[in-house]
Amino acid sequence: MSAPVLRPSFGRTMFASLRLSLHMFLADPQWVIPSTIAPVMFALAAFEIYRGSGPLLILYAVLGAGMMSMWGQTIYGSGWAIWQDREFGTLEPTLGSPSSYLGVIGGRVIWNALSGLLGGAIVVLVVGVAYGQPLPFQAPIVFGLLFAFVILSLAAVGLVLASIFVYTRYAGFIQNVGEFAFYIGTGAMFPVILLPFWVTPFSLVFPPTWVIDALRYASIPGYHGFAWGFTGDIVGAVVTTALYVGIAASVFRRVERHVLEVGNLDEY
Amino acid sequence: MAKTAIRIENVRRVYSSRKGFLFQEKVESEALKGVDLTVDEGEIFGLLGPNGAGKTTLVKILATLLLPTSGKASVLGYDVATQARELRPHIGLVLGGERGLYNRISARENLRYFADLYGLPVADRERRVEEVLRKVGLSGEETRRVEEYSRGMKQKLHLARGLLHSPKLLFLDEPTIGLDPKSAREMRKLIRGLVDEGVTIFLTTHYMFEAEELCQRVAVLSKGRIVARDTVAGLKRLVGGDRTIEIESYGLDGPEVARLKALPGVSHLTSEDFGPRERVTLRVRGNDLTHDLLTAALPGHRDLSVRERPTSLEDVYLDLVEEAPE
Ligand SMILES: Nc1ncnc2c1ncn2[C@@H]1O[C@H](COP(=O)(O)OP(=O)(O)OP(=O)(O)O)[C@@H](O)[C@H]1O
Ligand SMILES: [Mg+2]
Repeated sequence: MSAPVLRPSFGRTMFASLRLSLHMFLADPQWVIPSTIAPVMFALAAFEIYRGSGPLLILYAVLGAGMMSMWGQTIYGSGWAIWQDREFGTLEPTLGSPSSYLGVIGGRVIWNALSGLLGGAIVVLVVGVAYGQPLPFQAPIVFGLLFAFVILSLAAVGLVLASIFVYTRYAGFIQNVGEFAFYIGTGAMFPVILLPFWVTPFSLVFPPTWVIDALRYASIPGYHGFAWGFTGDIVGAVVTTALYVGIAASVFRRVERHVLEVGNLDEY
Repeated sequence: MAKTAIRIENVRRVYSSRKGFLFQEKVESEALKGVDLTVDEGEIFGLLGPNGAGKTTLVKILATLLLPTSGKASVLGYDVATQARELRPHIGLVLGGERGLYNRISARENLRYFADLYGLPVADRERRVEEVLRKVGLSGEETRRVEEYSRGMKQKLHLARGLLHSPKLLFLDEPTIGLDPKSAREMRKLIRGLVDEGVTIFLTTHYMFEAEELCQRVAVLSKGRIVARDTVAGLKRLVGGDRTIEIESYGLDGPEVARLKALPGVSHLTSEDFGPRERVTLRVRGNDLTHDLLTAALPGHRDLSVRERPTSLEDVYLDLVEEAPE
C-alpha cells in the first residue's frame, strides 16, 4: 500500500500548471476577445492619427497597442492567479500537495504572458489588414528575441503582483488603477520622455519600460528614446527583471506561512 | 498495541478578522480551546460536533492547511507546523462540497493535474487516474466537465483526488453532507473499503448513525472543546442508561420534574417545550424503573404519553453537546 515518497520537481509543477491553464483556456477560448478589444481600438485610432506621418510612427503606435494587450493579460491573469484558486476553492488542495506553489503560479504567469502574446499578435494583424500591407519590421530576429524578453519581464511583474494580491483585499482596485497607470508609465502608449519629468523614475522601476524602449530602438530607425540607448536599455531590463524575480521568490516563501496563519484560504 | 497515527496536545486556534472599513476593529474568536486527542494507525476515527464546533478547523490544522495558535499536533510522526513538507505526501484531505475543483474542465483533467502536483510517476499517471475513477464509481463519466456533475459525483471526485497518491492517512470532512441516502450509503461503503486496505481515516460528521456505523472510536467536539472521547459503546455508557424514556404531557411543573429525576436508575434528564405540551427525556440504567413507578410519580396526569426506546448515539450526542461549557 505505502508507495515511495513522491515529490514533483519544480519544472513538473510549472508544466502541469501551464497545461491546466491551457485546458481552462480551451474550455472557454472566447475570453481572449474582450481583452483585445481596447488595444485594437487604440491601435486603429493611432493608425488614423498617424496615417500621413509615415510607416514608422504607425509601427510605433501599433507596438504600443500590442504591448498594452500583453500587459493587460499579464496583470489581469497573474494578479488573479491566486484569487482564482481562492474563488474555486482549489487553493487548499493545491497548497496541501507537495508541490511548490511558486511553481504553480509560475506556470500560470507564463501562460498569461503567452496568451498576451496572442493578443499582441491579433493587434498587429488587425492593423496590418487595415493598413493594407505588412508593417515594416526591421531586424526580425532581434525583434523576436526582445519580444520574448518583454514577456519574461511582464511575467516577473505578474509574479510580484500575484504574491502581493494574497495580502490585500483590494486586489481589484489596485489592478484597475495599476493597469491604466502602467500603460502610460511604461511608455506602452506614448514615449516616456513625453511624460512629465517626475514620472520617469517611477517608470524605470518596471522592467517592461526598459524592454519596450529597447524594442523601439531596434525596430524604428531614427528613434529617440532614453539617452542611454539600446545597450543601456538591455542592461536596465536585465537588472530590473532579475530584481522582480528575486522579490517574488522571497515574498512567496512568506506567502504560504502567511495564509496558514491567517486561515482565510477558502475565502474570496 | 497499535501505533499512534495522530497526536494532538492542547491545540488552540484563534481566528482574528477585521470589521469595518476605515476604522477597522479586530475581532478574535477562539475556534479550538485546547484539544487533546490521539488516533491509532489503521482505525477509523470519528469527530462529531454541531455547526461551528471547530471540526473543520481541527482537520485543516492536521492536514497542514492552518497553523495552530498554540499547542502541538503530529501526524504519522511529523509535526504539522514545522514538518508540513515532509508530511504532505503521506496524507490526503477531502473537504468536499461544491467548490474545490476546476469546474470548466473534465474530471480526468482535474485528476491528471493533481497527479502531477503529487509527483506521481508520469508512466503511472493515466493508470492511476483510471484506477481511482473506477474505485469511486466515476468510470465512464471522466470526460465530462465537472460543472455538469451532480453533487454526489463531485463528492466522489473529491475522494478520488484524495486517493490519487495512495495516502496512508485520509482526512474526510463531512464526506456525506448533501448526498441523498443512496449516494451517502455508497460513500460509506467506499470508506469502509479503504479502512480494509489499511488506510487510517479521520472523519468528521454531524450524523450520529454515520459515526455509529463507521467508527470504532469517536470524540465529540463542542464549542472548541472535546466533551467526550470513547468507543461508540463506551460513549453510550458514559452518559448513562441503555434505555431512553420520553414522557409527554401538559403542564409538568418543577417539583414533578424533580420527582422524575429521583426515580431509580435515572441518570440524565432533559426537558423541552413541545408545542403546548412538555417533553421530558430520561436516560435510564437497568430495569428498576417500571411504567407503574413512572405514572405513580405523576399523579393526575391523564393525558400522559410514555414511550420507551433503546438509547441511540444520537441521544448521547445531544446530551453531551447541550451540556458543553462555553
Ligand atoms: N477563516 C475564519 N475566520 C474567522 N473565523 C472562522 C474562520 N473559519 C472558521 N471560523 C470560526 O471558527 C469556528 C469553528 O468553525 P469550523 O468551520 O471549524 O466549525 P465546524 O465544526 O467545521 O462547523 P460546520 O459543522 O458548520 O462545518 C466558528 O465559530 C467559525 O465561525
Ligand atoms: Mg466544517
